[in-house]
Amino acid sequence: MPRRPKLPLDADSDESGPRLPAAAPQLAPGEPTDLELMQGIQDEDPEALSKLYDRYNGIIKALILRVVHNEAEADDLLQEIFMELWKQAKNFSAQKGKPLGWMVTLARRRAIDGLRKKQAYLRAGERLQNETEQQPDAWVHNATEEEIDFADTRVLIRKVISGLPPAQQQAIDLAFFRGMSQREIAAKTNTPLGTVKTRLELGLKKIYDGLKEFRDEL
Amino acid sequence: MSFEEFQNRARLYVIGALENGECREFEKARRRFGETAEDFITECYRLHAALALSLRPAKSSDALKERLMKMVREKKQRDAH
Repeated sequence: MPRRPKLPLDADSDESGPRLPAAAPQLAPGEPTDLELMQGIQDEDPEALSKLYDRYNGIIKALILRVVHNEAEADDLLQEIFMELWKQAKNFSAQKGKPLGWMVTLARRRAIDGLRKKQAYLRAGERLQNETEQQPDAWVHNATEEEIDFADTRVLIRKVISGLPPAQQQAIDLAFFRGMSQREIAAKTNTPLGTVKTRLELGLKKIYDGLKEFRDEL
Repeated sequence: MSFEEFQNRARLYVIGALENGECREFEKARRRFGETAEDFITECYRLHAALALSLRPAKSSDALKERLMKMVREKKQRDAH
């Protein structure tokens, strides 16, 4: 996988706001796109799955780790998720979104289900307590430095997210990465339900609006 | 429900953060707004990819990939018979 050129943040801003680079990894000439790989998987080509795995296993594993906080469980889930991706590929429709979004949706659901099944919620909750006290850096706590293909994209998405008030970041973190309901978030953070709802709505709207530059890629 | 309210709810819906009562209202509005609503919901799913991309990739072992690919090839063989 080729490295994407570094884009200094300062050079990405003008009066109309930050200009974001491509979200997808820059592909070498002749490399298949994500969509082509999905079509390959739909045609039951293991090599297509192998390539998609190489491209995205780091991101999917980071997402799983963010949910389950356990390396061994994360590896098990990563394997299950890519196996499910292989089995469910026929359900993917390009009209409904990009392959990465579909994979993340599938992975998140499986990871949250896995967390609940293993009844690790309370233990994870205690860990989360510590993490959320360290906001905003907690959002990227499970980092490795090795995979850099998405580094520029991550920096810019992080820039959008870190522009949110910490309480909005925390609400989104609990909802998205923990699968918590508004009521659960309200109880966990000792916050009125209406406030949680407002934080989620405002935070998600800001992220959504901040992603407009990614329209063709995410 | 106005379309702006629907949009706010849709962003909660895609991350599974709507409460039960809100889900019913949301589904009603979704039917009322029809294709526009479906297009907007599809757009909102981009939030999933964005939130995942906000994390730094984590490393996995080569052995894990080998196991996965072995399982995939075996399944393909089984399905072919």
